[in-house]
Amino acid sequence: MNSNHKKRNFQIEAFKHKVVVDPKYADKTWRLLEHAINEIYNHNASGLSFEELYRNAYNMVLHKFGEKLYTGLVSTMTRHLTSMSKSIEDTHGEMFLEELNNKWTDHNKALQMIRDILMYMDRTYVPSSHKTPVHELGLNLWRDNVIHLTGIQTRLQNTLLQLIHSERTGQIINRGLMRNIVKMLTDLGPSVYQSDLETPFLEVSAGFYRVESQDFIECCECGDYLQKAERRLNEEIDRVSHYLDSRTKIKITNVVEKEMIANHMTRLVHMENSGLVNMLVNDKYDDLKRIYNLFHRVPHGLDTIREVMTSYLRDTGKNLVTDPEKLKDPVEFVQSLLNEKDKFDKIIGFSFNNDKSFQNSLNSSFEFFINLNPRSPEFISLFVDDKLKKGLKGVSEEDVEIILDKVMMLFRYLQEKDLFEKYYKQHLAKRLLSGKDSSDDAEKSLVLKLKTECGYQFTSKLEGMFTDIKTSQDTVHGFYSTHGSELVTGPILTVQVLTTGSWPSQPGATCNLPTELTSICEKFKSYYLGTHTGRRLTWQTNMGTAEIKATFGKSQKHELTVSTYQMCVLMLFNKSDRLTYKDIEQTTEIPSVDLKRCLQSMACVKGKNVIRKEPMSKEIMESDVFFVNEKFVGKFYKVKIGTVVAAAVKEEPEKMETRQRVEEDRKPQIEAAVVRIMKARRVLDHNNVIAEVIQQLQSRFLANPGEIKKRIESLIERDFLERDGSDRKLYRYLA
Amino acid sequence: MPRASKRKADAVKSSHAETAPKKPTKEVERIDNLFASYANTSISMIDPEGVEKLCSDLSVEHTDVRILMLAWKMNAKKQGYFTQEEWRTGLKSLRADTLKKLKKELTELEKEVANPNNFEDFYCYSFRYCLTEDKQKSLDIESVCVLLDLVLGPKFRLQVDSFCDFLKIQKEYKVVNMDQWTNFFRFCQEIEFRELKNYDACQAWPLILDNFVDWLREKSKSA
Repeated sequence: MNSNHKKRNFQIEAFKHKVVVDPKYADKTWRLLEHAINEIYNHNASGLSFEELYRNAYNMVLHKFGEKLYTGLVSTMTRHLTSMSKSIEDTHGEMFLEELNNKWTDHNKALQMIRDILMYMDRTYVPSSHKTPVHELGLNLWRDNVIHLTGIQTRLQNTLLQLIHSERTGQIINRGLMRNIVKMLTDLGPSVYQSDLETPFLEVSAGFYRVESQDFIECCECGDYLQKAERRLNEEIDRVSHYLDSRTKIKITNVVEKEMIANHMTRLVHMENSGLVNMLVNDKYDDLKRIYNLFHRVPHGLDTIREVMTSYLRDTGKNLVTDPEKLKDPVEFVQSLLNEKDKFDKIIGFSFNNDKSFQNSLNSSFEFFINLNPRSPEFISLFVDDKLKKGLKGVSEEDVEIILDKVMMLFRYLQEKDLFEKYYKQHLAKRLLSGKDSSDDAEKSLVLKLKTECGYQFTSKLEGMFTDIKTSQDTVHGFYSTHGSELVTGPILTVQVLTTGSWPSQPGATCNLPTELTSICEKFKSYYLGTHTGRRLTWQTNMGTAEIKATFGKSQKHELTVSTYQMCVLMLFNKSDRLTYKDIEQTTEIPSVDLKRCLQSMACVKGKNVIRKEPMSKEIMESDVFFVNEKFVGKFYKVKIGTVVAAAVKEEPEKMETRQRVEEDRKPQIEAAVVRIMKARRVLDHNNVIAEVIQQLQSRFLANPGEIKKRIESLIERDFLERDGSDRKLYRYLA
Repeated sequence: MPRASKRKADAVKSSHAETAPKKPTKEVERIDNLFASYANTSISMIDPEGVEKLCSDLSVEHTDVRILMLAWKMNAKKQGYFTQEEWRTGLKSLRADTLKKLKKELTELEKEVANPNNFEDFYCYSFRYCLTEDKQKSLDIESVCVLLDLVLGPKFRLQVDSFCDFLKIQKEYKVVNMDQWTNFFRFCQEIEFRELKNYDACQAWPLILDNFVDWLREKSKSA
């Protein structure tokens, strides 16, 4: 034996020079490793020495046999995988997936061990020769030799899709197994996952939902359909979280959204008796919330909802403001508007997530139909008048604020705010002068709100009115404390001194006050003028009331509350029993129209006929004669005699007058705006002038372009502006 | 030679007559004489009576538009009156120092006015000329129609007749001001009449023209 020789051959030399190793060494080492790999795949790894195998692999690579090692690895692994795939293929029915999963697990375990053993090669030979690293190699080989094997690939896809379909139709499947298989696919790379599973999955799902949605929509009401859609959507999200890749979530939800919602959007919204309008009318908050959430997910979904809501609102609103029944009762009119606003505020709050675009639609719709009725400003003022007149006693301060805030909200929608201001002023004047002290705080609160909304100018006169009332109280107080002693026996006088500019202008009228009053009236006048020099006082006889004690017959006593005119007439009967119309007219000098009404209220109204007239006709003629009605008996001690309101005909001209006055007032405002704008800009073209004027006056009223043009022409005529010489579209400011 | 030099001096002076007013030339003298023949000496202006006489001498009606053109050439300020300055200005620029020449120049004047460069100026002038009162800014409808017919009629017969019909029917405006007057001319130039397709009410046309167009459109619809 040449053992000595052999020993000498195996002497280990120092690493200083290359050692050419016997090629047989390489073969031998490889065979060792190959055997190890086989054992690993055969679940026999326990008997192997990791350290030895690692060293062998290391040596191979070190001695330049990396290539051999690598190719050997490839072929061995491929061999094993091929046999694995055969066994998978041979599995029947339900065990297919499970077998696949098992083999995959085995392969992964083996791969890990192999990689650990071949780590040196992985770190040195592989990068330098640009080969695929071991782990990746293992995955690729699995993919090529197992998954993409014709027999297995299609079968795998079909099985998976079939299971998903079963789950969709209500069956329970093994989600854990699904998850593992899907993870396998994702581990093999995103392209494998996508082409082998995700894309066909999405396609099949689209088809499934297309059919299902078609079935549902034929037989379901909108609300039910939406519930089903929501359920399916949640199901898919759940599915993804349990066993699909998270990146599939957005894709599958898009599919469901498209098939179940987007494709049927219009039909759903317009479904008769159950669509969006029905939901709005019946305050179905949950259904509305669902439809909002679902439609939110699809393009133009919310636009569709919003359009339908807006057109419904505008129609309803338009009907509301033109309903003849409602127009008879202004308070009812406004209350209906407030109710409608409340309703939609709630809907947008509960169901539409306070979506700003919906709120904007709501606002623009309200603005649209409120201004369809030219009497809206008047009605809103009447509503406020009603609430403040009746007194808000019993209503808490917070509730008062809430009502006023709601009124302000409607006020903001008005285009003709200046018309509202005029009516509000008239109504406020009536309220303040009626003598009732109720709701003073509420009045002031509302004025403050108007001031915040529209600025100081809007409310300065209103505040003047309040001041006058207060000052008058002080003045009367001062009057009585100064002259008190002299006046004890005479009539009691309460005066309100009104500053002309602040109060709605009243036409002056003649009227001679009864002699019984002249003394005290003069005393007051001189008292006042004594403390306020340079002022002029005029008694407004068309306003004011008097309380008179009267005795009818022998002993029938009553206290009558009458208007100033009525007082003047009645006092005349202290001096004579019989008076003709002419007598009365001459002595009192009250204008005939008012005098007739005044007499009619006292002679022709049942229960208030303190005066008797001959003949007993309904109308007051200039030939009539009047007497005190000695037989008058009133129900109560105190009798209030109103003034006959003339036929509705009189109301119309008054309204026309108010509107005309407002139109007239607008002209100087437009001119002022034009001048302001031109002064700043110096030169500006026609369209821009119009646009800026409209914008500047927006807070008061909507300016009409034709009217603006007229005002511009008037300004040109008066040499405030001129047209530009070369471009006639331009206006120039003339300093 | 003293005579020759004197003649030269004369010649020099006559061509610069305006700068040397001390010695008026023959032309100016003739113009002044013509003026004097019509002028009312108490006011040293030609008054309406004088104008009428002038017209009959020229064989034109005193309502003839050429008299208005003459006034324009003179830049006469007051309707029916010509001052000496105005007379001089006008006749000098017309190169007319005799009645015969003046008559001839009137036809030339018509052509001059018809020239687009001058027409607009003439048109505006004619309105101002009719504002007889001191601070008067507008002209009553009746006068406007007559003036339009006279001045603009020949050029835009259809528009003028139509507009005058409208002015007489409508109730909103009792007078027409300068701005509206000038814009009507622009209207005739820019807007295709009858079709009115290119009229845009949103532009800076005076409201009276907006109303006119609306009225026309209403009429054509009912027709």
